[in-house]
Amino acid sequence: MNLIEALEVLKEPVSPDRPAIRVGLACGFTPLHLETFLAAQLRQRMPGHGIEVVPGLFGDLAGNIERFHAAQCDVLAAVVEWQDLDPRLGTRSLGGWRTEDLPDIERSVELSVSRLERALRTSSSLFPVCVCLPTLPLPPLFTTSTRQASTHELQLRNFVTAFAARIAKEPLVRVLNPQQLDELSGMAKRFNLQSELTAGFPYQLAHASAIAELLAALIQNPAPRKGLITDLDDTLWSGLLGEVGVEGISWDLDRHSHMHGVYQQFLGSLASAGVLVGVASKNDPAQVEQALGRKDLNVAKEKLFPVEAHWSAKSESVSRILETWNIGADAVVFVDDTPMEVAEVKAAFPEMECLAFPRSDPGAIWNLLKQLRDLFGKSAISPEDRIRLESIRAVGALREAVSHDRGTVDDFLRSANAEIEFNFAKQPRDSRAFELVNKTNQFNLNGKRLTEAAWQDTLSNPSSFLLTVNYEDKYGPLGRIAVLLGRIEEKSVSVDSWVMSCRAFSRRIEHQCLKQLCERFAAAEIVLDYQATPRNGPLQEFLAAVAGGPLTAPLRISRNDFLGKCPALHHRVKELVNA
Amino acid sequence: MHDLDSRLNRCFNSVFPDLEAEQVPTASVESVRGWDSLAAVTLLAVVQEEFGLEIGLTDLSGLVSYQAIHNYIRRHNGVS
Repeated sequence: MNLIEALEVLKEPVSPDRPAIRVGLACGFTPLHLETFLAAQLRQRMPGHGIEVVPGLFGDLAGNIERFHAAQCDVLAAVVEWQDLDPRLGTRSLGGWRTEDLPDIERSVELSVSRLERALRTSSSLFPVCVCLPTLPLPPLFTTSTRQASTHELQLRNFVTAFAARIAKEPLVRVLNPQQLDELSGMAKRFNLQSELTAGFPYQLAHASAIAELLAALIQNPAPRKGLITDLDDTLWSGLLGEVGVEGISWDLDRHSHMHGVYQQFLGSLASAGVLVGVASKNDPAQVEQALGRKDLNVAKEKLFPVEAHWSAKSESVSRILETWNIGADAVVFVDDTPMEVAEVKAAFPEMECLAFPRSDPGAIWNLLKQLRDLFGKSAISPEDRIRLESIRAVGALREAVSHDRGTVDDFLRSANAEIEFNFAKQPRDSRAFELVNKTNQFNLNGKRLTEAAWQDTLSNPSSFLLTVNYEDKYGPLGRIAVLLGRIEEKSVSVDSWVMSCRAFSRRIEHQCLKQLCERFAAAEIVLDYQATPRNGPLQEFLAAVAGGPLTAPLRISRNDFLGKCPALHHRVKELVNA
Repeated sequence: MHDLDSRLNRCFNSVFPDLEAEQVPTASVESVRGWDSLAAVTLLAVVQEEFGLEIGLTDLSGLVSYQAIHNYIRRHNGVS
């Protein structure tokens, strides 16, 4: 985006009805065009929101961060440059570049970094924080030639890197990846000395645009995709299994097919981070079973589930995989080397990201892996990520057991030996609960999504409650599968958000949740902020069964009515309360 | 000339969106209320980017009207 385009984006009128996002932009230089680019990028990425970028004061980065603590921001973008750590590392201050000054500059940077770290930790307890580390070249103040890194220079970089590694561990801190910035904006074309001297703005426009682009993406923090469906022939491996046989397919250097092995390794990485990986292949199923059993495959066979191998259309395979995973097409990426197959699946599932695997071009495969990393990237791996595949397999086993069991559903649920753990502790940094609220569609009270700041804000309200639900039965643990967020009022409980993972359906967990609310808060009535959405059919079905009347918005359910209609519940219940 | 005019007009419109089309060719620091130091820096940044120019430090202070910027571009960029 160039500056004129950014200004034109910002000229477009914004409806005042749109929820506003207030972004604090903390930097030590004049924010000028960076502010413009950031506002424009955010406007483009988040068209459903009004965007307000609020700058701070010139020359006081740490002070700006601290002042934003009381400024009701939704998110903070902190852009650090060397001169913020010591003015002698900039060009506007003439504080001395003598050899004997260098140890003092080191000490000063160490102190500045400590102050920044404290300020950013406080910020991240209030709202999400995106941090950009110094991007400009250090000035020529060191005694070595520019070809040789001096010990002082390396030490300065070390302070900054160590600081970044520490703050990146905070759940709400996201550090802009310098490697990605390097790709977008070469070091030699970043610094604008004339602009720095005349206006206090040190960036070339293209560099400011690149920083803004990455910061806007960090601020938006789109939800990661949940599943990847891959083809096999000339994708997971090189060669056509039906023609060359199990030993003929390859992923090695000798046969110039090594990048298929890298792709396998990448899928293994995704799977270990909780991404579902399925297979859709036009092949003989018995041969596929053998091929996936090869010991040198770089992704474990059991991590690929389900495997759809037959001669029917790929879209049919994809449809069955989605049904098994019980997730929407928009949460899934399809990868296949054949453009026709990619087009066929895309036509059947327009909302699915469908990507061609560029089998004969190692560089393009590398870029595909980077694109996939962006689609599936997440800040942290949760315990639920680690058990997702096992719990989906368990759901399949449960369905099978139900369909073959001659007894009643009650017999079956009784024999499941289920335990539900209700946790009322309000943990503002609980990323799993926040993630569930923002990605669940089918059992979702109203489809409303929350910003991280709104989440923090709601939890800080003394009358609010957060209920998270863990489930386990003899088929395995499902982990944290439901979240309820609401407010306690005089004689009722208002529920503003209620989501439950689709993996937890058919176990009467939702009934147990309502019962628990009634008991915990001695509520005569539960008021649900219900809204029908195109995708919350399972929730509507449940409410219709327990409400005993038409579904209204809001929906009021009396304790007595609900308990009268509630079926038998067979879970063992544990409750954890607020510390 | 037409190309330079339309591109320069677009620069002015992006920085001064309230300026009427007929006011643009006569726009100056004196006639445009929003033409403060911040707007001046933004306008000259947009012009440099649009026309691939690097305006020298010594020239900055003279670029205080549409006509002055127009003349500067013609002199330094050869756009016609």
